[in-house]
Amino acid sequence: MGFRTRQIHAGVTPDPLTGSILTPIYQTTTYVQPSVDEYLSKGFTYSRSGNPTVKALELKLADLEGGVDCACFGTGMSAVLATMLAFLEAGKHAIVSDVAYGGTYRLSTKVLSRFGIDYTFADTSNPDDVANSVRDNTALILTETPANPTMKCSDIAAISEIANKAGAVHAVDNTFLTPYYQRPFELGADVSIHSTTKYMDGHNATVGGAVISNSDEHAEAVRFIQNSTGTIMSPQVAWLTLQGCKTLSVRMDAQSASAMAIAEYLEAHPKVEQVAYPGLKSFSQHELSSRQASGYGAMLWFEVKGGLAAGKKLMDNIELWSLAENLGSVESLITHPVTMTHADVEPEERARVGIIDGLVRASVGLEDTEDLIKALSDALDQV
Amino acid sequence: MSRFLNFDTLALHAGQVVDPEFGARAAPIYQTTSYVFPDTDTASSIFNLERGGHAYSRITNPTVGVLEQRIAALEGGSAAVCTASGMAATFCAITAILGQGDHIVASTQMYGGNISLMKNTLPRFGITASFFDPTDTDACRAAIQDNTKLIYGELIGNPGLDILDLEAIGKIGADHNIPVMIDATFNTPYLCRCFDYGANMIVHSVTKWMGGHGVAIGGVVVDGGNFDWGATDKYPTITEPYAPFSGINLWEEFGPSAFATRIRAEAMRDIGPSMSPMNAFLLLQGIETLSLRMDKHMSNTMELLDYLSNHDQVSWVNHPSLPSHSSHELAKKYLPKGAGSIVSFGVEGGREAGKAFIENCELASHLANVGDAKTLIIHPATTTHSRIDADALVAAGITEDMVRLSVGLEDVADIKADFENGFRAAKRFAKG
Repeated sequence: MGFRTRQIHAGVTPDPLTGSILTPIYQTTTYVQPSVDEYLSKGFTYSRSGNPTVKALELKLADLEGGVDCACFGTGMSAVLATMLAFLEAGKHAIVSDVAYGGTYRLSTKVLSRFGIDYTFADTSNPDDVANSVRDNTALILTETPANPTMKCSDIAAISEIANKAGAVHAVDNTFLTPYYQRPFELGADVSIHSTTKYMDGHNATVGGAVISNSDEHAEAVRFIQNSTGTIMSPQVAWLTLQGCKTLSVRMDAQSASAMAIAEYLEAHPKVEQVAYPGLKSFSQHELSSRQASGYGAMLWFEVKGGLAAGKKLMDNIELWSLAENLGSVESLITHPVTMTHADVEPEERARVGIIDGLVRASVGLEDTEDLIKALSDALDQV
Repeated sequence: MSRFLNFDTLALHAGQVVDPEFGARAAPIYQTTSYVFPDTDTASSIFNLERGGHAYSRITNPTVGVLEQRIAALEGGSAAVCTASGMAATFCAITAILGQGDHIVASTQMYGGNISLMKNTLPRFGITASFFDPTDTDACRAAIQDNTKLIYGELIGNPGLDILDLEAIGKIGADHNIPVMIDATFNTPYLCRCFDYGANMIVHSVTKWMGGHGVAIGGVVVDGGNFDWGATDKYPTITEPYAPFSGINLWEEFGPSAFATRIRAEAMRDIGPSMSPMNAFLLLQGIETLSLRMDKHMSNTMELLDYLSNHDQVSWVNHPSLPSHSSHELAKKYLPKGAGSIVSFGVEGGREAGKAFIENCELASHLANVGDAKTLIIHPATTTHSRIDADALVAAGITEDMVRLSVGLEDVADIKADFENGFRAAKRFAKG
C-alpha cells in the first residue's frame, strides 16, 4: 500500500469492542490480568512498559519508516538518549555529526561524557572524515540529515557502509525530511530517530520522540532502555500524534513547495547575502539531496546583508512568522539558532561548523505562500 | 460486581467493565466521532434503538457511557444522559416532556440561568412557568394549573439556601400525576439521594461538586424510573408512538428508562448537546473522590460558619446548618451529612463593603463557578443574578451586601486568614 494510505491506516484497527474508528486514549497506568497464569496474555501490564495508544503510534511509525519496530519517547531528546544508551557504554566511542541539533551536542558533551563515553564530532558531509574518525571502540555513528540548522547533508549510504565495516550502528535523525521523503533503512542505516514534535505531530501540540529499528536485535536494545529508563511518551501525546500523522504527506508537500518558493524569493532579494535550501541548484549538496531523498523539506536558512544586526532586526519586526524554537509545524516559525536552539554550542564550535551569527532559520508552515513572502518582504524592507 | 453496592464502591466502579481488550484499569478515552459497524443488520438495529451500541458520538460514546452509568448508580436511578453543560441537561430534560401550551411550577430560589430559561427562553416556545416560594409548600400546590406538566426545584436553593421539602413536593406531584424534577447540583447524591424522597428526575451541573476540580463543564439528567408515565395521557412524548423511530412507544419498550431514552433519541440526536469524552474522563476522576471531598467541604464549612457567626463585621450568616435558618429542620431531615458548602453572608457596610471584601481576598478566587476544590467567592447581585429584575432578586433571597462563598478544600486556617484581610479592607465601610 502507498504511503498516504499507510499514514492513515497503519497501526490502527477499529476498536473491536465498540467499533470506535479511532484508537481510544488509554489514559491508564495498569492493566488487569485475567489470571496469574495468563499474565501478559493481553499484551500490557503497566503503561511504562507499554500502552495500547502509544503502541498504535509505534506500529504506524515503524510501518511508515519501513522498520521492524518503533519505541516512542517523551521527547525527541529522550529518543536520542535512548539510542545512545542502547548502543554505547563506558569505554565506547561515538561519532556524531558536527552540526547535530544543539541538544544532541549538549547531551553528548555535557551529560554522557561524564559516564565514560567518548565522542568525535565529525564532518559527516564528508564520508572520509567519518571513516578517519572510526576507532576500535566505535559503536555508534549518529548523523542528522539535513542537519539543524546548517542544512548540511550526510550521505546515508556511504556512512552506513563505513558503520557496517566498523561494526557500529548507524543511527540517522530523520526528523527534517520524515520517511515520506527520506527512508534511511533503504540506504543501509540501522536506526532512525525522530522528534515527533516536528512534522509527525505538525500542529505544535505535543513534544515526543521515536526510535525505529531495522532489526530485532536493535529493537530489543532500544525497548530495554525505554522500559528501564522510563522516558516514555504519554497516551494523550501518542493520540494527538496519531492524528497528525494522517496528514503528514499532504503537509510535507505543501510546506516544501512553499519553502522552495520562499528560498527562490530570498535568493533573488538584494538584501539577502545567502540562502541554504537543498532544493536550490546553488545548494552545495543539491545533487546528494536529490539522490537520497524524494523531497527537500520545509527548512531553510538565510543571512541578511549586514549580518547579525540585520538578522535581528528582521526577526524582531517580522509579522505572521513566529519567533520561536520549534520547527515542522503548520505555523511558520523563525529562529535565531545562535541565541536560541544552539546557544549551548561553544562560539568556536559554532563558527567551525558554519552556524554563523547572522544565520536566520526558517521553518516554513502551511500558510499561503504569498502571505509568507509578503511578511518576509515587509520585514526586509525595514532592515 | 453487583454484590458491591455501597456508595464509595459505586463511585469508583459503577458503570465500568474493565476493558476486555487489554485490561486497562482506567476507562479508555474514546475520542472518536464514529464506530465501524460489523454488518448492516447490526447498524440498522442500533439506529432503530432495537439494541444498544454505538453509532456516532453525538448520541452515545463509551467513555461518556461509563460516567452516565456511574451517576445513575450513585443516584439510584434507572438511566442517565450526560450533556455538554448543566444548562443543557435542564433544557433537554424539560423539553423531552413539555411542549407548546405546557406549564412548569418552579421554585423561586434557583440558579439565575434556570430562572432565565423558564422566564425568557421557554416562553418563546409556548412553555410557561409559575414560581413558588420553596419555603411554602402550599404555594406549590396552589400554582398547579390544568396544563402543568412539571414541578421543578433545587433541593438547596440558590443562593438563599432554603431547602425544598422534597417529600411534600413529591406528594403534590404524585397527587396530580406530575413528575418532580430536582436540580441536585448543590447536594450531590452523597449528601442526599433525592429519588428516595419523591423526586422523579434529577439534573446536575456536574461541573460543580460531582467533578469537583473546576476542569470540565458538563451536565447530566438522571431518570428515577419511578414515575408512571402511562397513568395519564399528559405525556405523549413518552407514551405515544415516536415517528422518527418507526413509531416506537418508549413507555412500552423502555419502561423505567423511557424518559432517559426520549432524551437520547430526541435531544442527543436532533439537538446534540453532547458531553465530550475527554470531559467525561476528567469528571470520572473527580467522582472517584466525591465522598472524601464532600466530607472535607462540609467540615470546612462548619468551621467557617462558626468563624463567620462570631465575626463582628458579619451582619448575617445564612446556611441551613445554622439553627437560625428557616430550613434548619428540613436540612436535618434530608441532608444529615451536611447541607452543602455554599454559605452566604453579609459584610457590615453594604454593597461597597462586600466589594472591598472580595477584592482583598487573595486565596479565595473571585469567580462565578461553585463547587470547585478551591474556595470561591462572588457578589451575586452584580454577577450570577445580574440579568434578573429587582423583584426577582428579592424573591430569590439576594441582598446587595450578600457575599456567596463556595467553601473549598484548603486548610481552613488559611481561608480564615485570607478572610481577615478582606474584612480589614471592608472595615472603613462599616457603620460606626
